[in-house]
Amino acid sequence: MIVFDQVNKFYGNFQVLRNINLTINKGEVVVVIGPSGSGKSTLLRCINHLESITDGVLTVNGISVSDKKTNINKLRREIGMVFQHFHLYPHKTVLQNIILAPMKVLGQTEAQAKETALTYLEKVGISEKAYSYPSQLSGGQQQRVAIARGLAMSPEIMLFDEPTSALDPEMIGEVLDVMKALANEGMTMVVVTHEMGFAREVADRIVFMDQGQILEEATPAEFYENPKEVRAQLFLSRILNH
Amino acid sequence: MNFSILTNNIDMFLEGFKVTLMASVIALIASLLLGAFIAVLRIAPNKLLNWLGTIYVEFIRNIPLLIIMLFVYLVFNFKGLTAGTIALTIYTTAFIAEAIRAGILSISKGQMEAARSSGLTYGQAMRLIILPQAIKVVIPPLGNQFINLVKNSSLVAVIAGGDLMYQADLISARTLVVMDTYILVAMFYLLLTIPLSLGVGYLEKRLAKSN
Repeated sequence: MIVFDQVNKFYGNFQVLRNINLTINKGEVVVVIGPSGSGKSTLLRCINHLESITDGVLTVNGISVSDKKTNINKLRREIGMVFQHFHLYPHKTVLQNIILAPMKVLGQTEAQAKETALTYLEKVGISEKAYSYPSQLSGGQQQRVAIARGLAMSPEIMLFDEPTSALDPEMIGEVLDVMKALANEGMTMVVVTHEMGFAREVADRIVFMDQGQILEEATPAEFYENPKEVRAQLFLSRILNH
Repeated sequence: MNFSILTNNIDMFLEGFKVTLMASVIALIASLLLGAFIAVLRIAPNKLLNWLGTIYVEFIRNIPLLIIMLFVYLVFNFKGLTAGTIALTIYTTAFIAEAIRAGILSISKGQMEAARSSGLTYGQAMRLIILPQAIKVVIPPLGNQFINLVKNSSLVAVIAGGDLMYQADLISARTLVVMDTYILVAMFYLLLTIPLSLGVGYLEKRLAKSN
């Protein structure tokens, strides 16, 4: 479904992604971990073309993301994205946040879009906040709205860019629970996170990155019990034993 | 203070007031629309457009309004008031464009990213997500520009635009009561600018509440 083939990316002379080869299949949950600055977020943001790649081929559903002829707006309908800092629209209510893209991009009627929105709000457990503004919500609630906003477009893929890193520790659980439920329903997910418990429990595959390279790709069991790369061993020992 | 200047020349004062009000309102609306357009040119993801916007702003805001006014008046041979209103619009547009551009840039990049990643086009994201938020940030500096615009309109007198300042020049030349005439004219300007200030303050408060 998502295929990176020899993908490189540079910011000027600085190489952020090095020879990335990665295939993500339909229904798979892939968790990308690694130290700060390792290129995890960049990798994720290339998938929906928030960042462009320098060379190599990156396809989503067989369509090249970097090809100038690709209608990127159309491709993005199939890819939901959840950001570290939520990025809800502060001048719109929760409901308006969710129905905006289905109405403007998919051409749904307001009634249709509202119905879908309310279903997803219920699913993420905050239907009572439909008419509140984002500023009236806690971080965890805002992030759940952001997930509902992504789902309302009925995407085939959901991207999560450190979705819990900006949250109070108490709020992390509620967001991870929503993500777990989503994974269990068979959503294709690519998740950049530092939540090792989530990765271990939910991921089909762990991708470990450092300095722009994928150093290790393994199932959670293999990766946590017996990491092959020295850098991965060091990373795990640092974050698991603190 | 000699109030007979006011009562004896009330028709001229009112005519000038009307002309100043009209020139200001037309220039205000036109420069707001043009300013938003130039601001988007300067920010759009296209080098040529950025360049065009930058040239307009840097060229216009760095020459005196009076010169622009004389230029429009002499070169295009318009009537004083028409030339004056056009020149005011050209000049104020540059400042409004800068205020709006700063407002747009103050909105977090993540807003554009969230909007684009949901499949909205650049134009839709600008119109539906960025500009409505930017307008709140921009209102206080826009208020300043509007007040400057009203006061700058007094330069129209130089090209015989028939505005307040022009009438005052005529009255003072005829009656030789200079001080009192201009004090009265200042009062008429305050009649325009004070409500404008209050209106902007009110709008600022109301928009702040909705967030």
